Amino acid sequence: MNASEDQAAVARILAGDSSAFEGIVLRWQGPLVNLAYRFCRDRERAEEMAQEAFLRAYRSLAQWRREGAFSTWLFALATNLYRTELRRIPARLVSIEDLAEQHAPRVNHQNFEGEEHDRIVRNAVLTLPSKYRDALTLFYFHEMDVGAAARSLGLPEGTLKARLARGRKILSAKLSHVLVSPLLRKEVT
Amino acid sequence: MRHDELDRILSEENDLTPSSGFLESVMETVRSDASAPPPIPFPWKRAWPGVAACLIAVGVLLVACIALLHRQSVAASSTDTLPSSFVLCLQVAKATGAGWIALALIISLASIMLSNRLGSGK
Repeated sequence: MNASEDQAAVARILAGDSSAFEGIVLRWQGPLVNLAYRFCRDRERAEEMAQEAFLRAYRSLAQWRREGAFSTWLFALATNLYRTELRRIPARLVSIEDLAEQHAPRVNHQNFEGEEHDRIVRNAVLTLPSKYRDALTLFYFHEMDVGAAARSLGLPEGTLKARLARGRKILSAKLSHVLVSPLLRKEVT
Repeated sequence: MRHDELDRILSEENDLTPSSGFLESVMETVRSDASAPPPIPFPWKRAWPGVAACLIAVGVLLVACIALLHRQSVAASSTDTLPSSFVLCLQVAKATGAGWIALALIISLASIMLSNRLGSGK
């Protein structure tokens, strides 16, 4: 399904054929669940949030202005919902110090796993203040496309860039105290 | 930690595949939402006479207050004995039946809120 098919499906739904929404869910379920997962790092909750996003989208399809891409509208709606959900019930956060404690026994182990290290870095994004967390989450979700991330967040690109720079700086500072991976040390020095 | 390292880790994330029942679950919710009756709109047509009556009552109350205050000030200037503002308010309220009007407004407001709540199904 491409953009014109999205448009045709929306037209059918607005004409009363709710089954046409299945095509939209099929096309966008992956991205919406993955975006939700990046916000909460909990698969079950991510699916619940994505389901709510689809329901909201269904209810407000008439508000989509056709001049913009359907995906842009859908991501903005989902992002807004996910942020509201996280304000209501925050993600189960582990403090950066706890991350360090969890990580410490494995750091000096010879079988240190890069995946575990990466997981800690990704979870650390959730410990950032929300405006930096949102900026980083959307930027990397949109494959480092500043424009797409800014549209999803409803921000000017300049503001998003500033938040990205500040967010990265805070994250790097936090992680530098936590991660003592020999691999990273080598790259840093 | 270097920024390019952050970029690598945060951009190279394996995608989750939604669970097998996700699509059906969403469509079930959508179908149920589509088949639900639309929310009952607030009956403004029927409410307008009540709203208008309230506005008129408030207007009459204001006019009565102003008239009473004016009469009191005229009387006070002739005798030089000013009643306290509290006593004055009580007199105004008593003369205009403000207590009954306030009670009627509160009951009207409560009934509107209750009917709205019942109408929205919450």
